[in-house]
Amino acid sequence: MISVPARLTSPSDIENLANALREESRAAPRSVRVCIGTGCAAKGSRRLYELFLEAATQSGEDIRVEAKCVGCHGFCERGPIVVIEPGEVFYQRVEEPDVPEIFRETVLGGRVIEGLLYEDPSTGKKATKATEIPFYNVQERVVLGMNGIVEPTSIKDYIARDGYKALVKVLTSMTPEEVVSQVEVAGLRGRGGGGFPTARKWRSCREAEGSCRYVICNGDEGDPGAFMDRSIMEGNPHSVIEGMAIGAYAIGAEQGYIYVRNEYPLAVEHLKVAITQAREIGLLGKNILGSSFSFDIRINRGGGAFVCGESTALMASLEGRTGEPRAKYVHTVESGLWGKPTNLNNVETWANVPAIINNGGEWFANIGTEKSKGTKVFSLVGKVENTGLVEVPMGITLRRIVDEIGGGIRDGKLFKAVQTGGPSGGCIPAEHLDARVDFDELTKLGSMMGSGGMIVMDEDTCMVNVAKYFTDFLQKESCGKCTPCREGLSQMLHILNRIARGEGEVGDVEELGTLAEILEGTALCALGKTAANPVLSTIRYFRDEYDAHILDRRCPAKECRGLFRYEIDAEACKACGICLKNCPADAITGEKKVPHTINQEKCTLCGTCWEKCPFTAVLKI
Amino acid sequence: MPTVIIDGQKVEVERDATVLDAAKKAGVWIPTLCYHPAVSISGSCRVCMVELDRGDWRQLITACNYPVRRDIVVYISSDRAERARRGVMELLLARSPESPELKELAERMGVKSTPYPTVTESQRSCILCGLCIAVCEDIIGKAAIGYAGRGVDRTVASPFRQPSEDCIGCGACAAVCPVGTIKVRVHEEQEEVEISPFKSRGKLLVCEQCRAPIVSTQVGEQALGKVEMNREEFRELMRLCPKCRRSKTAARLEAGNIDKQRGGRVVS
Repeated sequence: MISVPARLTSPSDIENLANALREESRAAPRSVRVCIGTGCAAKGSRRLYELFLEAATQSGEDIRVEAKCVGCHGFCERGPIVVIEPGEVFYQRVEEPDVPEIFRETVLGGRVIEGLLYEDPSTGKKATKATEIPFYNVQERVVLGMNGIVEPTSIKDYIARDGYKALVKVLTSMTPEEVVSQVEVAGLRGRGGGGFPTARKWRSCREAEGSCRYVICNGDEGDPGAFMDRSIMEGNPHSVIEGMAIGAYAIGAEQGYIYVRNEYPLAVEHLKVAITQAREIGLLGKNILGSSFSFDIRINRGGGAFVCGESTALMASLEGRTGEPRAKYVHTVESGLWGKPTNLNNVETWANVPAIINNGGEWFANIGTEKSKGTKVFSLVGKVENTGLVEVPMGITLRRIVDEIGGGIRDGKLFKAVQTGGPSGGCIPAEHLDARVDFDELTKLGSMMGSGGMIVMDEDTCMVNVAKYFTDFLQKESCGKCTPCREGLSQMLHILNRIARGEGEVGDVEELGTLAEILEGTALCALGKTAANPVLSTIRYFRDEYDAHILDRRCPAKECRGLFRYEIDAEACKACGICLKNCPADAITGEKKVPHTINQEKCTLCGTCWEKCPFTAVLKI
Repeated sequence: MPTVIIDGQKVEVERDATVLDAAKKAGVWIPTLCYHPAVSISGSCRVCMVELDRGDWRQLITACNYPVRRDIVVYISSDRAERARRGVMELLLARSPESPELKELAERMGVKSTPYPTVTESQRSCILCGLCIAVCEDIIGKAAIGYAGRGVDRTVASPFRQPSEDCIGCGACAAVCPVGTIKVRVHEEQEEVEISPFKSRGKLLVCEQCRAPIVSTQVGEQALGKVEMNREEFRELMRLCPKCRRSKTAARLEAGNIDKQRGGRVVS
């Protein structure tokens, strides 16, 4: 084992350490990497790690095996994921009983176990390495590159893989202005949702009046179904810290804050460990690597309010006040935390910075489209075959994400819409699937990039219900400070509830439009201003579904209770009596060998018969 | 000094003055609810929306807190600005349909009724403007009330919805409330003052002669603490209600107990 020197005091210290660490890893090339990301951990990967660790310690002195916990690989659908070196053998859906076999055959014997490999459902081809799987080979992993490879709780592992090299480069050979220029050349835009040019923000903060400045990392990711930032903080916390340190150097800040949700305990823990390690080794604190630059980071845990992801609400919360937004007519880069110039960026934005410095702004600018550079991480969820965390170059079409990475829609159903941008985003229909993923393109379609939520919906999804769900979410998460958001969202929800109950009236859609206009124009913060997007985009693309609910009292997707009925298909019915026995309303009649029927007057539409029928003879009409 | 052109009318203001300040200077009325010159600006009610000319586009802004830092052009009576203000007022009317004060302001804005049903519950027509909270904290220095709950459940309340120990019964909250939610109630028999709906009660200072209530004892003490009171006659007078004070002074005047050299003050 290489012992870490007490403190790195010069750029050559860290270079020597990195070289020594690389030497060491060459000496022990066998390793088992177990994913402990959210999805895999839920399927018991922690236990797998313990078992591998046990096996590794018992493997004898002549063969050294390293067992590592690593962050999210992204392919959560196929978790728990275990990768064996040498050979990058990618095992999926690993269970406890597989551990001894993997250890004996692959780790020690170098033989691949076919049964644990990923098999392409369409071709039947097995993939030994991750790069052979379509889910991965369409992706381009910049931010997530080290996720699943480095051990998040080991600064040595990060340093051995060129970690903190960008910080050294900045401190030894770049002026703060040169750093900002590189980020400008890269064309990096804020990954938190707004898409504001990062370099412009940095420069404004740097040039703002005042001697004390702050940098903040926004880790208050609260979109339903999104876990991009979570996975970065959990899987590669040092990349965020390094990015922040570089940003602080460029801006002239000495103190940074990471605001992270308390509901992300593993992210909090890994960040804490990483900050402590960086501080101990001298990569945070006074006179970093012997330079005149001093910088330190504190973690603040958020209480889970969605609105605290808004920058001014976040800063109010950091100051110990109620997390509520304020008007941003005076920008936070001028007067933010404690009234000082403050630069706030999202986790993913910060994590992009080391790669930009290491490879140069032009390299980054070569990825993506004209106005949206680099890559974007999405959490791909919903009705696709392969759900998980994906990183794609900007400009890729939605179709490629859904079909190639996502593997198409589950159970042979038809695609209906993809919801991007989190709860304030919009639903994009099939006719726009060839649209490019790009800040401006998505906005044109009535949705937005947001922080990277991507929910795929199939033909069984009712779009009125989708609008209702997101409006309900936002209404509950509204802080209640300003009138339009508090009252306007309640009015919208009231109308949507009526429509979904079959009590909609002619003119409701127009009234929703009027309320949307009030919200967009008059709400105080971005939460309220964009809150009508789910309603507006579903009206824009799925107006016929609204009309069916209002005019025909019918839910075309058969999701809204009361707006469809259950009937038994006499030909498919085997008269087994299961539905009859289970019906809580005694609404089903029938005898042996006589197809059953539902008495519509008695039926309460609970759906029990539909769920219980083993022959799918109960139909939604 | 930057100039602001409001609906074509030119006015100069200090840097960092607000659009509302400029409108006042120009003699143009903009409706406000959560704005009060005595306290910090929250910009929460949104009834003061106006349009700001940004060259190739126009942005809706709140007049009460938009700082003027350069020459700007704003529109108060443009269609979009008026529609925005009406929309916000209609939402407020749906919340608090019973408040005469709110209806009066709505009428002045040309809003006669609201198309929306009442879907959020308000505590006695409270529109959650926050002026009461701000005045209690900023001016009185007490913070006896604050917001409780979030979103539609937000209310103004004392801690744990119990009578607040910090309330001094000054009634400043009632004075600034734009919709008449907060009332000062005097319970003459118990010689107590109550700030309703917060249920905070305090002892009243009552007139030594006629027993009429003057002010809460805590306010009296605070006020007296701010004035130098080394003359017994002042202390005596402060224990009387304004009416009795006047008659006592008048009686002294009649008795001719006046020290003319000392500016006509009554001496005993």
